[in-house]
Amino acid sequence: MAIQAPPLGSSPSRSSGWLGAFTSTDHKRIGLNLGIASFVFFLLGGAFALAMRTQLASDNSSFMSNGTYNDMFTMHGSTMIYLFVTPMAIAMAMYLVPLQIGAVSISAPRIALTGFWVWLCGGLTMESGWLTDSGPGRAGWFSYIPLSNAANTPGIGQNLWILGVIMAVAGMILMGGCVLATIMRRRAPGMSVLRMSMFTWTALVSVFMVVGAFPVLIVAMALLFIQRTTGMQIYSGFSGAIDYQNLFWFFGHPVVYVMFFPYLGAAAEAIATNSRKKWFGYHAFVMSMMSFAALSMTVWGHHMFITGGSFNEYFAFTSTMLVIPAGIEYFDMAGTLIGGSLVLRCSMLFALTFFIQFLIGGLSGIWVASPVLDYQANDTYFVIAHFHYTLFAGSIFGFFAGVYHWFPKVTGALLRERLGKLQLAVMIIGTNMTFFPMFILGREGMPRRIARYPQQPGWQPLNLVSSIGAGIIALGVLIFLVNVLVSLTRRQVSGDDPWEGQTLEWATTSPPPPLNFERPLPPIKSYTPLLDLRHEAQDEARERDRQEARA
Amino acid sequence: MRGGSIPLLIWGVLLGLLMATNWVWTGDSIQFGSLAFAILVIWLGAGLAAVFSRRESLRRGPPKPRLTREAIPTSSLGAALLGVSSAAILFGLTFGSFLVLMGGGLFVASLGLIVREHRHQRRARLTATERDGSGRF
Repeated sequence: MAIQAPPLGSSPSRSSGWLGAFTSTDHKRIGLNLGIASFVFFLLGGAFALAMRTQLASDNSSFMSNGTYNDMFTMHGSTMIYLFVTPMAIAMAMYLVPLQIGAVSISAPRIALTGFWVWLCGGLTMESGWLTDSGPGRAGWFSYIPLSNAANTPGIGQNLWILGVIMAVAGMILMGGCVLATIMRRRAPGMSVLRMSMFTWTALVSVFMVVGAFPVLIVAMALLFIQRTTGMQIYSGFSGAIDYQNLFWFFGHPVVYVMFFPYLGAAAEAIATNSRKKWFGYHAFVMSMMSFAALSMTVWGHHMFITGGSFNEYFAFTSTMLVIPAGIEYFDMAGTLIGGSLVLRCSMLFALTFFIQFLIGGLSGIWVASPVLDYQANDTYFVIAHFHYTLFAGSIFGFFAGVYHWFPKVTGALLRERLGKLQLAVMIIGTNMTFFPMFILGREGMPRRIARYPQQPGWQPLNLVSSIGAGIIALGVLIFLVNVLVSLTRRQVSGDDPWEGQTLEWATTSPPPPLNFERPLPPIKSYTPLLDLRHEAQDEARERDRQEARA
Repeated sequence: MRGGSIPLLIWGVLLGLLMATNWVWTGDSIQFGSLAFAILVIWLGAGLAAVFSRRESLRRGPPKPRLTREAIPTSSLGAALLGVSSAAILFGLTFGSFLVLMGGGLFVASLGLIVREHRHQRRARLTATERDGSGRF
């Protein structure tokens, strides 16, 4: 049983107010702080994207210089990956995992808090490059050698970018480690690993990758920093460049799955709850998550097909193998929908959209997993379209499914359904207008990372459509912000369990109290303890009716 | 704690199989080293959990109820400062050595704060345990 230790010196002011909010070791507060901060970075990264799309709306626009465009695409990618999608996934895990496994707290909460601050300072360090004469990092979010060495990308901005990446990644490792330890150590009595919710499983395999793969990036970045500041030739010549790419992509591909799995878990929870039945094929789901995560650690070489320094057959084989666990997820999703009593709430609609949109990214992934086809598509807009369909059209819709599903739990208020559906419609239109033309542009050979493009027939209209789509996505995000504002100021009280949830977080108050559960936990007999309770109550009522009828 | 190490061990085995395939297929030492590192971290986690739980984390089945009191910190200025000071040291590597020194000082101070917080937490737990009588319930 847990008690709360009073703050140091028994001063209540330490755990309340602004200082309290930023020094709180409550996993919910840390998760919220991380989520809000990363959403602010999302808005910033989105602004960079809008600026780039404005430049590309016409073929020879003078909206920004080539150098500024380099800054923009570097900081757009870096902000989205290191400061939004990945940390947001960890934020959701930080908030929800202890609740879903019936824990009163996260393991090592001080380490989690330290991790949050290291990550936040990393983000600010990365963005502080904008204030320097040389501008921020401008060698892309993966900063390949030799482009990112001191001779080719001089200036303090690139150094700040490297340090920012190191801090952000270190912070995420610390927080991910805490989530992992929580799942290992703090599950409630009865909560065996095969009774954990889908979201918790997706969080678990994500933090496997965080602690297993992320430290390698810190090593790669530290060596790059040393090379830039001391002049030592660590990554020299062809083999140095390939070594850097191997180290970078050993982080760079698993992170794609860290940016996907928790959102998949969120979408799975939303679909199961709104289908009013258990998630179909739970054990297959668990096994597929484990193999998906393991495979995703060994596919990174497909980013290096054209370098001549990669073992293309091996990485093509492992990359293509990914379709098996991915297929199981889709099969489970379809199995859950079939025979369910579907409720088409926003969370459900976002979750279904997540699966459909991600499918486009996934299918185009089979294309670029083949070296022969990738030779044609590499460094073209086809690749941009592919990963934006997976990371934006996939993850973001899964993220919003999670937001609409758990917002009542976090705040005690309901988000407006009408505004949510409007947001969904706008975002579907915007997303497909933005990213689908990129497939065509890529097929026609338009290279990525150029601020001005040749006057090829059809390129300018397609780019214009894409830029208009980006504006429509921004409108969708604006509608979401309005929805949050309206829902928090004119609250519609949600109650503790507005959706008839299936997992333990719905057994506590909304928002949850400091130690998560004030009432005793329900018996945990499966991965849907609350659904089991409802079924038992229904069975009892049915039995009573039968006995009365007999009498 | 029961069963906590099992997913890590299974995942480590899966990763080990893929590492072996990679080694046979490519023979690349950087790729092998990176994968070996990941497996080592995961198995180290599983092993530590097994040691601290006296092998309970290796047994299958649901966890049992906790019988001992636990004090959970509500806030930690020390931990927040530890994060900020670590970042200041790193930022100072580019911005100026004064920041490294300031960060270093803050780092030491925050460690001191954390030690105090730990003692405070321990006292709170002991007081609660004494209040319970036997400490078990």
